[in-house]
Amino acid sequence: MTEELRVRLADMIAAASNGTISPDEVLSGRHTLSALGLTSLARISLIDTIEDVFGLEIDLSGDLSSFEDVDTLVAALK
Amino acid sequence: MKIEFVGATEGEAPMTWGQRLMWRAVHLMGASQNYLNCPFVFPVYGRRELSTVLDALRVLIERHETLRTTFSDAGQRVSREGVLEIELVEAGAERGLRVAERVAGEMAHTVFDHGAEWPLRCTVVLKDGRPFALACVFTHLAVDYHALALLAEEWKALLRGAELPPVAWQPRDQAGLESSDAWQARSTRSIAYWRDVLRDVPVEVFDHPPGEPEDPRFIEVIMDSPALAVAATRLSNRLTVSSTSVILAACAEALAGVNTRSRVVMQLVHNNRRDARTREMVGTVGQDALLVLDRPGPDFAEFCRTTHRAALQAYRNAHYDPAAMTVMREKAGGHDLDAFFNDRRASPGWPALPADADLSVAKTRTYTENAWPGVRFKVFFTVGADAGTGLLSIIADTAYLPRATVESMLRGVEARLVAAV
Repeated sequence: MTEELRVRLADMIAAASNGTISPDEVLSGRHTLSALGLTSLARISLIDTIEDVFGLEIDLSGDLSSFEDVDTLVAALK
Repeated sequence: MKIEFVGATEGEAPMTWGQRLMWRAVHLMGASQNYLNCPFVFPVYGRRELSTVLDALRVLIERHETLRTTFSDAGQRVSREGVLEIELVEAGAERGLRVAERVAGEMAHTVFDHGAEWPLRCTVVLKDGRPFALACVFTHLAVDYHALALLAEEWKALLRGAELPPVAWQPRDQAGLESSDAWQARSTRSIAYWRDVLRDVPVEVFDHPPGEPEDPRFIEVIMDSPALAVAATRLSNRLTVSSTSVILAACAEALAGVNTRSRVVMQLVHNNRRDARTREMVGTVGQDALLVLDRPGPDFAEFCRTTHRAALQAYRNAHYDPAAMTVMREKAGGHDLDAFFNDRRASPGWPALPADADLSVAKTRTYTENAWPGVRFKVFFTVGADAGTGLLSIIADTAYLPRATVESMLRGVEARLVAAV
C-alpha cells in the first residue's frame, strides 16, 4: 500500500513539475524536491492535486518539510 | 500586405479571470494603457521566403483563439476568420534585430481598440529584401509573457515546417473551468485569505505623508548588477528556496527600511499557471498575489525561508474572480496595496551570466529613466528578464520615495544579498 502511494505521489510530482523531474528521481530519494528543481509554482500545483485527490486541505503556514521528499510526504498523508 | 486567416472555431464567452484583471487595468490606465502592451520580436531562423513567414503567422492566429479575439464588457468574442494587415520594413544598414525591437516598441505606443481591432499588430523586418524578423505588439488582454514564450516555440517549429499538435486548451475553456464549482470554491478561499490579511494591515503603503515630488514625479531606477545574480543564485542553492524568494526577501527588507511599521505588504505579479491545462494555454493568466511579512530580524537566511513560505501562501491564493475581489477589498477599507514585486525571468537563474561574474559590486551601475506616462505606482520592484546579468528596478513615486532613496534601496538589496552569501 505504501509503495503504491509512493509511486502515485512520484507521478503527481513529475506531472506538477511538467516533466522536469522524473518519477524515478523522486523515488530514488537521493535529493530533496527543491534540489531536483521543483519550483514554487510546481509545488502549489502539487498541493492542488493532493488536495483534490485526497480530499484534504493542506496548511501552508505550517512546516512544509514533508514536501521535500516522497517518503515524508507518504508519512504525512497516512 | 495582408494575411487572411480562417480558424476552426468561433464564439463568445465571459472573460477569464486573467482577462478581467487586464480589462480593469486598461480602463484604469485609460490613454496610458499602452504601458500594458506587449512588444515582442520573433526572429526568422534560416533563409525563409516572405510567404513562409506569413504562413507561420497565419497558422499561429488560426491555432490560438486569443489571437483572433476582441473584447467588450460582455466578454471575449472569438472570430473564425479575418484579415490582418502586415507592414514591411527594410532594415537597411542597421542590425535587423535592433530594427525589429524598435519597430515593436513603436507599435506598442498606440493603444489598442479592444472591441474593434485584432489583438496583435505585426511588421516583417527585411534585410536585403529577405525576412529577418517579425516585430509584433500584442494587447496584454490576449497574452502574457509566458504565452509569448509558447508562441516563440511554435514559431520556430512552424518555420522548420513541423506539424504541431492541436491546441488543447483555449481561453474560452478556461472561462468555463473558472465558472465550475471547484474553481469558484478556490476563488472564495483566495478572497477569504486576502480578507484575513487585510484585517491586520494599514490602508496606506507608507506611514509617512507624501512630500514635494520631483520632476518627473514617477521614475524607474534600474540597477544592473552581476553580483546580485551571483549572490541570489548561491543563496538559493544553499537555502533551497527559489532565487525569486531570496530577492523578494531583500526587497521586502528594503521596503521595511523606509517605513516604521511592523508589517510589510506587497502584491506579487504571479503567472498563475499552476494548472496543467493552463500551463500550455496561449492567453493571459497572471493575477496578483498578496504577500504579508512581519518585519525581518537579523537572521536573513531565516527571513528568506519565511518569505518563501509566505510567497507560497500568496501564490496559492492568487486564483480568484477579480470582480468579487474588488467588492471585498472595497468593503475591507480600500487598501491601496500599491507596492508590487514582479520577477520577469522566464526560468530560474541567469543562464547567460558570464562565467567570471562574482560578488564584486565594481561592475554594478544604476541609472534612472522616466516611468511611462500614466504609471502611478508608489513602489514597484521588477527583476528583469535579462539572463546575462542581475537586473533589478524600482518604479517609484518620488513624493514618497525620492530618487536618492530609491537608489539606496537598490544598493541595499544588493549589499544584503552579497553579505549573506
